[in-house]
Amino acid sequence: MTDVGLGSLATASVIAAPRGHGTLRRLLRHRSFMIGFSVILLLTLAAVLAPLISPVDPSAMRVRLRFRPPSSQFLFGTDMFGRDVFTRVLYGARVSLFVGIAVCVISGLCSAIIGVIAAQFRKLDGAIMRLMDALMSFPAILLALGIAAALGPRVSSVIIALTVAYIPAGVRIVRAAALTVREMDFVHAAQVSGASSLRIVTWHILPNCLSPLLVHLTFIFAYAMLAEAALSFLGVGIQPPIASWGNIIAEGRDYATEAWWVMLFPGIAISLAALSLNLLGDALGDMLDPRLKGGE
Amino acid sequence: MIMPLLSVRNLTVQFRVDSGWVTAVDDVSLDVGEGDCVGIVGESGSGKSVTALSILRLHQRATTRIPSGTITYQGQDLLRERGSTMRRIRGSEIAMIFQDPMSSLNPVLTIADQISETLRQHQGLTGVAARKRVVELLGLVRIPDATRRADDYPHRLSGGMRQRVMIAMAIACKPRLLIADEPTTALDVTIQAQILELLRDLRKELKMSVMLISHDLGVIAEFAQSVIVMYAGRVVEEAPVAQLFRRPVHPYTVGLIAAVPKLDSDAPRLATIAGRIPGPQEIIVGCRFSPRCALVQPRCRDEPPLMQPVSDGQSARCPPRILVLGERHG
Amino acid sequence: MVDQPIVEVRDLKKTFAVKHAGGTSTLHALSGVNFDIMRGETLGLVGESGSGKTTAGRILVGLIPASSGTVSLFGHDIAGANGKAQLAAVRSRLQFVFQDPYASLNPRMRIGSAIAEPIDIAGTHSRKDRNDRVAELLELVGLPRNSVERYPHEFSGGQRQRIVIARALALNPDFVVCDEPVSALDVSMQAQIVNLLLDLQERLGLSYLFIAHDLAVVRAVSTRVAVMYAGSIVEFAPKAKIYSDPQHPYSRALLDAVPRADPDFVRHPVVAGEVPSLLDPPPGCSFHPRCAYAMDRCRVEAPSLRESGPGRRVACHLFSA
Repeated sequence: MTDVGLGSLATASVIAAPRGHGTLRRLLRHRSFMIGFSVILLLTLAAVLAPLISPVDPSAMRVRLRFRPPSSQFLFGTDMFGRDVFTRVLYGARVSLFVGIAVCVISGLCSAIIGVIAAQFRKLDGAIMRLMDALMSFPAILLALGIAAALGPRVSSVIIALTVAYIPAGVRIVRAAALTVREMDFVHAAQVSGASSLRIVTWHILPNCLSPLLVHLTFIFAYAMLAEAALSFLGVGIQPPIASWGNIIAEGRDYATEAWWVMLFPGIAISLAALSLNLLGDALGDMLDPRLKGGE
Repeated sequence: MIMPLLSVRNLTVQFRVDSGWVTAVDDVSLDVGEGDCVGIVGESGSGKSVTALSILRLHQRATTRIPSGTITYQGQDLLRERGSTMRRIRGSEIAMIFQDPMSSLNPVLTIADQISETLRQHQGLTGVAARKRVVELLGLVRIPDATRRADDYPHRLSGGMRQRVMIAMAIACKPRLLIADEPTTALDVTIQAQILELLRDLRKELKMSVMLISHDLGVIAEFAQSVIVMYAGRVVEEAPVAQLFRRPVHPYTVGLIAAVPKLDSDAPRLATIAGRIPGPQEIIVGCRFSPRCALVQPRCRDEPPLMQPVSDGQSARCPPRILVLGERHG
Repeated sequence: MVDQPIVEVRDLKKTFAVKHAGGTSTLHALSGVNFDIMRGETLGLVGESGSGKTTAGRILVGLIPASSGTVSLFGHDIAGANGKAQLAAVRSRLQFVFQDPYASLNPRMRIGSAIAEPIDIAGTHSRKDRNDRVAELLELVGLPRNSVERYPHEFSGGQRQRIVIARALALNPDFVVCDEPVSALDVSMQAQIVNLLLDLQERLGLSYLFIAHDLAVVRAVSTRVAVMYAGSIVEFAPKAKIYSDPQHPYSRALLDAVPRADPDFVRHPVVAGEVPSLLDPPPGCSFHPRCAYAMDRCRVEAPSLRESGPGRRVACHLFSA
């Protein structure tokens, strides 16, 4: 069969295998995906059902129960104020996962809109990309640190700071995909029929840029969680007594020798969450790789 | 009986897909004799390219398996040879050129560098001797201003030029067999004619056998001495070229030749073959062409037909039609 | 009754600015092209890479702006000062069929919506009428009605091309530009789609500009043929004439180069050389470096398209007085 056009190659490199029941079946059979997805699901359930799993006040201080090592009564032991570490880790999951999802969703939406605008309106492209380059020239964590410090130590500051830090990478991805999709014949077909720019962007360009963005966002989720932990650890993020994995570790730092369990368990939780998200992202990336698509 | 240069017997190649394994090449057998020019013609899904890639074991190891078959070259079965033997054979004894000259050349190396690689690997040529041979080869494939062109990067060359460079790389070590997989499909018509003429001349000069794979019946008619027609993974007909076009036997061959638009005559509509090519995962019991065949009979759907000889050098995989032809002559 | 052309192209030129290391160069894609298309006919536009045929086709439907010249469709000049408004006025009467069936359908859009898109954009039909029209179109191109809910990847190349054709016919256009509509398809499928295009032309009274590099396919569909080389038309003739008696040396070379599915066919010598660079075209006739009949005049003076017989025009000094 003749393949005179490069259209199909371009299609393959950007646009993922379209949805259908085949996709769901492939997902379920993909080991990395199932492992990653299951772990994150477990962590989410643990976070949501925290009060049911451990009906103890995470901030309750019981001085007589300080520095108890992990036991059947206190699964993860107690910290320097006698608080139950297990409960704090569970409630910390709420904060970390919430920040992760929020940053993911908001930065994803912003990246998609800005990226598509940059690709579609060449006059704005230059200005937008220089702004993104400027933002990207700061290490994300420093940028987030600066914004969070300026806005004050609370959850919303952390979310805003991280969102701003991660938008440029997403914009790059969406813009690159959108630039390729713009040149595809199905966009030209819509133009021939008189479609407006808005229609083309909404129905043709955006839907076909989502796959690479989606994969990218799973990694953003992981980075956001890690960054929140770092920010809280450094004292510009969520402040105790509200538990976050980061500030639990921060508090436990001074007692590393006496109560190593205070740092260990939230550390494991962060690692587990980040790892499972990476597995998920890798799996999605593999899955959406059109090379695996049955072709001519 | 002279031993053919290359002999493929009962080759079956399968690919892994989500739901299991799918057969791309089904029990294919063919021979290429010394100095022969064999054309393999078929449409998409026919398995012609996969067959060619299997000869040099260029398929993806992770997702391909070859459950049966032998590919005999000079008494050895290539499918069972060690990697080091295959590396020696590839390029020096059996060479291959591909369809897309844009992606067949490394964009960051000069033409001279790329051709020298083959020369170094198989003949141990380096330095001045290699350079001399490179320019010689570029001249052989009729690239004008070869001395200067040798230091160009691929992006400076047109499609036709790049294909000539590919051919130069392929013939650098005087292979005994050249496999050409759709070598002119991506080229303009006038350039295609030049490249085919070049291949024809090189074949004579270097006394090479050529296996040409194409979907274009015109290219096959002009270039090949004997033709193998493939459909949905199986060989359905083989014949010397003149016989194939004058007296095609298999209904698919008949339909295919009829469906090609004629350059030298007019018709109100083109002849078509009803239906469409089956997907690789479609399971058809019996003859794979039966859903589309105008001459289909009940037995075609029950059992897979076998190749049967029709006359001198011609065979087809269609017992009912051969029977009819035989009755006409007998 | 006067036969008015529905498409009139005069002195169409198109240049592209190409940026590279040394600066910017000008690529001359079209150098003054002239042709007409009459109602109900098919003009075959034939040429190899760099001929400008695809560029011309895309300018005709407003995908690319012309650099200069007039492009008059149904009396409206879409290349002039008021081009955009003129194009809007005739848009519903034009359409385009693309080459690559894998790239011309949005993989994330169901084909029912894809086919209906021109209707949805125009906003002229009620929901019921729109769905009825889609069903009608599917039947017209020979696809089952239940295809509406399916996605492009569920169809083969030939079926996708049918979908593309259905979409093109959604608003009952009068003029359709077909850019290599069958070159990405298998031979057996090519024949089916060519027949479909011919049937539709008869049924619906369509006019086509059929762009292709495959001369045999062009013969099967065209009424008249224009041969293009390096940005200009070199020969114009009715179908019957151009295949039996090509005048321009390039037309002859092109016909000679096509491989015939006939082992007895005797080959003529192959023309040497390659298509010239459009960034730095040779002076005089752009074909002269490859032409076996080149004269001194050809090297300095570019020939213009002149009458050379009934309904025939050729741009070659061999035929000028």
